[in-house]
Amino acid sequence: MQLKESQVAVLETASADEATSVDAVAEATDLPPETVTGAVFELEEEGLVAIEERVDETISLTDEGVTYADERLPEIRLYEAAVDAGAADEPAQMGQVIGASGLEGAGVDIALSNYARKGYGSIDSGEITADPDADSASDAEANALETLADAEETAADAVDVEGDVLDGLERRGLLERSESTVREVTLTERAVTELMAGIETAETVGQVTPELLTSGEWDEVEFAEYNVEADAERFEGGRVHILRQTAERVKETLVGMGFQEMEGPHVDADFWINDCLFMPQDHPARTHWDRFALEAPTHIDDLPDQLVADVERAHREGVGEDGEGYHSPWDEEFARALALRGHTTSLSTRYLSGEQIGEIEPPARFFSVEKVYRNDTLDPTHLLEFFQIEGWVMAEDLSVRDLMGTFEEFYAQFGITDIEFKPHYNPYTEPSFELFGTHPTTGELVEIGNSGIFREEMLAPLGVDCDVMAWGLALERLLMLMYGFEDIRDIHGTLCDLKLLRETEVTY
Amino acid sequence: MPTVDIDPDELRELTGREEKGDEELKEDLFGLGLEFEGRTEEGAFELEFAPDRLDRLSVEGVARSMRYHYGDSRGVYVPSTNAAEWTIVVDDSVPDERPYVTGAVVRNVDLDEEGLESLIQLQEKLHATMGRKRAKGAIGIHDLTMMKGNPATEGSPTIEYVGVEPDGDRFVPLDSDQELTPAEVLEEHQTGQTYADLVSDYERYPAIYDELGLFSFPPVINGRRTEVSTDSRDLFVEMTGTDQWTIDKMLNIVCYALAARGATLESVTVEYPDGDSGGRELVRPDLSTKTKTVAHGRIETILGIDLGSEEVIDLAERSGLEAETEENENGDLVYDVTIPPYRVDVLHPLDVIDDLGRAYGFNDLEPKYPDVGTVGGRHERSRLEDAVRTQLVGLGFEDLLNFHMISEAENFDRLEIAPDDDVYGAGDPPTIKGPYSEDYTMLRTWVTPSLLMVLERNTHRAYPQDLAEIGFTAAVDDSENTGVAERRRVGAVLASHEAGYEDAKARLQALARRFDVDLETPPTDHPTYIPGRTASVVIDGEEVGVIGEVHPKVLVEHDLEVPVAGFEFDLEALR
Repeated sequence: MQLKESQVAVLETASADEATSVDAVAEATDLPPETVTGAVFELEEEGLVAIEERVDETISLTDEGVTYADERLPEIRLYEAAVDAGAADEPAQMGQVIGASGLEGAGVDIALSNYARKGYGSIDSGEITADPDADSASDAEANALETLADAEETAADAVDVEGDVLDGLERRGLLERSESTVREVTLTERAVTELMAGIETAETVGQVTPELLTSGEWDEVEFAEYNVEADAERFEGGRVHILRQTAERVKETLVGMGFQEMEGPHVDADFWINDCLFMPQDHPARTHWDRFALEAPTHIDDLPDQLVADVERAHREGVGEDGEGYHSPWDEEFARALALRGHTTSLSTRYLSGEQIGEIEPPARFFSVEKVYRNDTLDPTHLLEFFQIEGWVMAEDLSVRDLMGTFEEFYAQFGITDIEFKPHYNPYTEPSFELFGTHPTTGELVEIGNSGIFREEMLAPLGVDCDVMAWGLALERLLMLMYGFEDIRDIHGTLCDLKLLRETEVTY
Repeated sequence: MPTVDIDPDELRELTGREEKGDEELKEDLFGLGLEFEGRTEEGAFELEFAPDRLDRLSVEGVARSMRYHYGDSRGVYVPSTNAAEWTIVVDDSVPDERPYVTGAVVRNVDLDEEGLESLIQLQEKLHATMGRKRAKGAIGIHDLTMMKGNPATEGSPTIEYVGVEPDGDRFVPLDSDQELTPAEVLEEHQTGQTYADLVSDYERYPAIYDELGLFSFPPVINGRRTEVSTDSRDLFVEMTGTDQWTIDKMLNIVCYALAARGATLESVTVEYPDGDSGGRELVRPDLSTKTKTVAHGRIETILGIDLGSEEVIDLAERSGLEAETEENENGDLVYDVTIPPYRVDVLHPLDVIDDLGRAYGFNDLEPKYPDVGTVGGRHERSRLEDAVRTQLVGLGFEDLLNFHMISEAENFDRLEIAPDDDVYGAGDPPTIKGPYSEDYTMLRTWVTPSLLMVLERNTHRAYPQDLAEIGFTAAVDDSENTGVAERRRVGAVLASHEAGYEDAKARLQALARRFDVDLETPPTDHPTYIPGRTASVVIDGEEVGVIGEVHPKVLVEHDLEVPVAGFEFDLEALR
């Protein structure tokens, strides 16, 4: 036959000849007593063991009892003091005797109430007498206390003290009796037979196995209990990078707002990065140290000839009857120099020019969420590489109100509703606005982007004859506003902290 | 962004608004786009300015804008100019690289310390902006009483702009007691050293002479003889440069600033030699105004509001402009807008509309969502990247996002490969010119180095660290128009006590199955990986990557104490 592990352990420990207590089995099998008790009842049901139950009475001293066992009973201390005061011969003064006995407080009352009862003498009108024949050494109660004081708990039938003495002590609150049920098991005939036939252990099951399920054994087995409260081993699992998640959300939002995604080179000619943006060639930003020029390769092979000519004319002469150009040099070789793009507006110029995907007819909306490069000092809010949310809307008669409305709509999708606009200057937009948001933890106003309506000097050479409003927003700054990050370096790049990436709260 | 220091007391005095408190001033300045950044040690406001309104580089220009802002001034103001007495004669010898000069005489100047400081600051800020660090335009201001004009043919004093031998005449430059030749100034004088690069290639150096000799060595330094002090009453302002328009505009800004302090302007004649410019004679400063024609309809569409023409004229006057209504050939309402001579930023009618918007208050405009219907969508490459990333995350990878710039050491050396090795990941990298940081000198040619750097920085974090990145990589490629082939690559590493080749292969197989491509992994050699545990990633018959167990030498180099297996291949292969 097959039995559970705990049942087998009980059968192997108990005997057919003499009763074994549950506690004894527990100790021998190293199982918890409650497990053994459970197994014993299960075995009884199977007719494999007989259970004998008896109620054991145990006695133990109360705290007061322990004290008296140590300091002796108050009435004895009073009697001895009285004898010392000569009260065996003639009555002595109560006050003196009590003082000499060293009794205090409740001890005095206890001594007085038991003194006469136990025949140590009498007390009358403030005087005390002591019976010379009384023998404090053979006080039954005192002796019983001494006996019981040796063991913390004693079985009632093992105590060599008269029952009425125990009753007396219990009444005085010096001892407590308690009862407990003791079960003892004896193997039945059947158990002996089965044991001889051999009993297999049905192990408790840790893992549910295919065999268990197909054999139907799952119905017989016991599933091991787990500590369901304990922490499990740490598991990380896959996760999309937090900045990438934000980028994806931005893309999703912009696609939802009707924008088409742009794509194009990271290494590009200054022509597409700056000249097409009506940035004069001697503009500080173009010679500024924050540009990443390329050592190798140095120049783009081809630029569209007509476009180069048109861009040069716009730089030199301006656009329109009243237009004026820059009073700055313009050189095609300079425009052909390669650099890591400082903004993804290079994608916008490529798309707007028709070079990337052909002519685009208004109305149109385009965007990209791509990397840009600035040779800036690396600090908590500035990276050498970061993501720019580039976007533009091409339509007839766009206004600055349309521009502001688009931002309000966009940032509201991320729960940011306190965008501020500051009129600004860019060489390629007019009017222009910087955008600011409030950092959720530091409360500082953080610049989050730059925007405006593209100048005609930029659009005319590209062949666009309607309005285009455009912007470049910093994805990392949006992330900071959303999550409250203060040091962007923890997130983006090889200096990243996996712990932070793993533990950043999921937002949606 | 550049800043300009403005003394609030001077600002109050020049605006005539003595009652304005500092906080109120700051708010008004912000309204003009001048953001308060802090205070200087002397208590002046440090204001950040956008580099369009270069007429606001001194307290005088800021005060002028403020008076328009308050409505205390309206319309265009042009100071009067007395007839020219002095002439600047440009000699044939002037260096071809720096042929242009302009100038003005300013009389009855009464500069106190603050006034002088403001003038010096204006000079510096103009040098830094329009002057392109003095390359395009450089300013010299002199005490006129210390100058002696050559006896002129027509009875007026002249000075000469000439080209001189670098080791020719000597003069005592500012902040010096020694007589030096121009070449010695470039070598020995601190200011000379700073600006030496501007002229050191010239055959002849630019110089200005009066009857007494050389007194200015533009664009480097003035002579000490004509140094301006608070005692100076009459000034000679000269500017040289590579573009006449630029120095003339810089001169206008300086003249306006001095006129605002009560000085009188006097013209100077500039005589160019016969030759390319045909013996041109100019009278400077050129304080003539310009006119731009701005269509009423355009103002309304850009601002997105309806305006009456009275309102437009009012906004123009409050911007220091003047507008008159006209009708163009189509019968549309337009304005002839007069632009004052100190404005350098008005290239196009759109710039006038920006002024009108600022005067109206852009922040008073109600945002609205544009009523334009378009259809949105993702680029195919970006969809592919997303799809692969989703699979990688499903396979248990933590997605990473690393820098595209890296160093040679990280990209090659620490992975035991060289740029010209014939192995996956090697290649000729696009390099950065004059990199500021030795950590970022080139674009990475593969992704695995970045992933190992992240492992290296996170050895104190819990393992396993299964990291992946779909990353940008680049290599020099002459067949591309830009000369650079830009590719996305799928890189992955598995780092844990039990990581091995098979774990990497299992995941790579899963990816291949999901994208329905045929994967083979024939053995190969690659110095980054352990021999015998390295294979090429061949997808649909093409070798597109590498897979293997990272070599202990590479692990130890990255301070890693656990095995790492990984793969990298071209994203395009899953297309």
